[in-house]
Amino acid sequence: MIVKTDNAQIQSYLVDAANYKGFCEAVYFPENENEVMELVRFAIREKKKITVAGNGTGLTGARVPEGGIVLATDKLNGIIELNEAEKYAVVQPGMLMSDFKKLTEEKKLFYPPDPTEQNCFLGATVATNASGAKTFKYGATRNFVLGLNVILPDGEKVVLERGRQFANGFNFTLKTESGKNINCKLPDYKMPETKHAAGYYCKENMDVIDLFIGSEGTLGIITQIKLKLLEKPGSLLSAVVFFEHENDALDFITEARNKSYETRKNMTELGLDAMGLEYFDKNSLDFLREDFSQIPSGYEAAVWFEQDCTTGEYESILEKWITLLRKHNANPDVSWIAESETDRKKFHEFRHAISSKVNEFINKNNLRKVGTDTAVPDKNFIDFYFYSKRLAMESGIKFVIYGHFGNSHLHLNLLPANDAQFRKAKFIYKQILNKAVELEGTISAEHGIGKLKREYLLEMFGEENIRKMARLKKCIDPYLILGIGNLFEEKYLLE
Amino acid sequence: MKIAVCVSHVPDTATKVIIGSDGKSIDPSGVTYVVNPYDEFAIEEALKTKEQLGGEVVVISLGTDANKESIRKALAMGADSGVLLKDENQRDSFGVAKALAEEIKNQGAEIVFFGKQSVDYDNSITGQLTAELLGYNCVTVVVDLKIDGNKVIAEREIEGGREVVETSLPVVITAQKGLNEPRYASLKGIMAAKRKTIEEKEAAPAENYVEILRMKKPAPKQPGKILGSDASAVPELIRLLREEAKVI
Repeated sequence: MIVKTDNAQIQSYLVDAANYKGFCEAVYFPENENEVMELVRFAIREKKKITVAGNGTGLTGARVPEGGIVLATDKLNGIIELNEAEKYAVVQPGMLMSDFKKLTEEKKLFYPPDPTEQNCFLGATVATNASGAKTFKYGATRNFVLGLNVILPDGEKVVLERGRQFANGFNFTLKTESGKNINCKLPDYKMPETKHAAGYYCKENMDVIDLFIGSEGTLGIITQIKLKLLEKPGSLLSAVVFFEHENDALDFITEARNKSYETRKNMTELGLDAMGLEYFDKNSLDFLREDFSQIPSGYEAAVWFEQDCTTGEYESILEKWITLLRKHNANPDVSWIAESETDRKKFHEFRHAISSKVNEFINKNNLRKVGTDTAVPDKNFIDFYFYSKRLAMESGIKFVIYGHFGNSHLHLNLLPANDAQFRKAKFIYKQILNKAVELEGTISAEHGIGKLKREYLLEMFGEENIRKMARLKKCIDPYLILGIGNLFEEKYLLE
Repeated sequence: MKIAVCVSHVPDTATKVIIGSDGKSIDPSGVTYVVNPYDEFAIEEALKTKEQLGGEVVVISLGTDANKESIRKALAMGADSGVLLKDENQRDSFGVAKALAEEIKNQGAEIVFFGKQSVDYDNSITGQLTAELLGYNCVTVVVDLKIDGNKVIAEREIEGGREVVETSLPVVITAQKGLNEPRYASLKGIMAAKRKTIEEKEAAPAENYVEILRMKKPAPKQPGKILGSDASAVPELIRLLREEAKVI
């Protein structure tokens, strides 16, 4: 096992994409499951904390160590099986999302979770329950995890298969490979009904595998993942449409969302059913214009959407979209429809470019970004959108709004120009998070909590529920060595 | 004024090409075909020229029914009509140019756009041959174009710089990347394209002067060598760069 201690060589493991910085004694690169187990036993013996690291693309500091050692998953990067007939893949956690997508596409298979950052490791997408543009139809990573091998923080291994091990009420037992039974209790809080990635996933009688998905490296180290795959759709309708008025864009999204739900509920043939519905405000379009000179000026908003269908269905589904677009005053002269795979890829770049354009701007001007990751129930979304926008406008701070509006999930990025604006931005951020919770939503729909947002998790769930999470964590991690500081402060573990 | 744009229907450059069982052509199964990327600049320039000077844009493509997809894309972008010159057989560049020249003459187009090359065979010759057969002026690898009355001023890329060429109509222009930013098909364009018909006719016959005897894949890249991950690997790296690669 490679171990790196040289400061210059481990620098990249002490930071993440949010520029949250930490420190550690050494970075270990296990190459197989046994080495992971050895490392955990070593950490227990030597009383060292372990932080599990993916590829550093996260935005919450979850992979950033605050002392102890780092377990880097870089060398656990193989594909074990790609079963075309039964449509599943078995992979190691350090495999790159972009490599995995290429492999599956070559076999005419489709893996819907599509986080903006394609340089993430698959293990990390399970640990945060990552989502992305196609989540509106297909749901987050959770829906595609069929099995996990997990090394628990006591050095034992569990093999979890979906549909096999369930909690009894809020009690559950983890049966380890060596025959040990670990009995623990789930917190009994209620999670919001929105897309949600904040705190442990807990439900009465739940499948135990779901507890580990989205647990942000605090309950176990994922060493193997079995992922469900779908058949690659025959055709993809892909479009970027522009609206002169944001209200039209928002109404279009609301109706497209409702129609998609109806299609799914009634299994309507040739129904309108979006895979993703993504919104871009005027400021986002200004950012994107640098790379996409074709973006027309004078438009307040744009919506990217995609629907998968068979080649035979394409024309009639396109007709339905056109009718809806006309109803909501999208300008047919300037709205783009992909006519080829190349166009579709360009539209994907359009969809994915906004966050990197914003980050470029931040770095170039040496600014700090304050960005929300909130989702609320659909019925409250429009109120929530205008509430967030009003606060941003009144602050005088530069901002952009975009996001996965199909899921009523909004990213508001405030781009403060100086310290005074930064403090103001943090204040607005908190107000928006409070509003999301008040409207029965979540403070994090996809990025997770990590270390950067634990104070807000505390506010969302309240101290009593955080204590319940900490008790669950202690039950699985009795030596308190794994992912300490993620989700909640260490003090809750020491009570 | 009639403006013609000639488009080629080619394998997507991201496609993994497999050589067919005859050893002389590629196996088309599993290959995605697209409008030749340089032809997209040609289409955009034709549309811009029409917007500036008026007239109409006709798209011409030689090949099989599959080429209709590329013609339709040009129609959705805003071209007015399409012509498919049908030929199931593989032609060389001269054969293609001959048929295209016939049709351009037939259409009476005085401004003709091509991509500077198509990315399947990369011969970079069809535009020039067509101009020669028509007796038109020809400017290749164009990155900027102005047409004023009968006068054509084109900026073209040359080794290490650019040159400005002045000529007159009728003219064949071959487009280089940078000439413009191709538009995406608009909703209106797509709806309008549905009403536009693609005229199909047999391509004018031509002799082939070039025969493909054999295709083979380039030798696979040699795997890289990893000498180590820290400073101790440097002396060996220097030795190899000096003795094996002979670059320092």
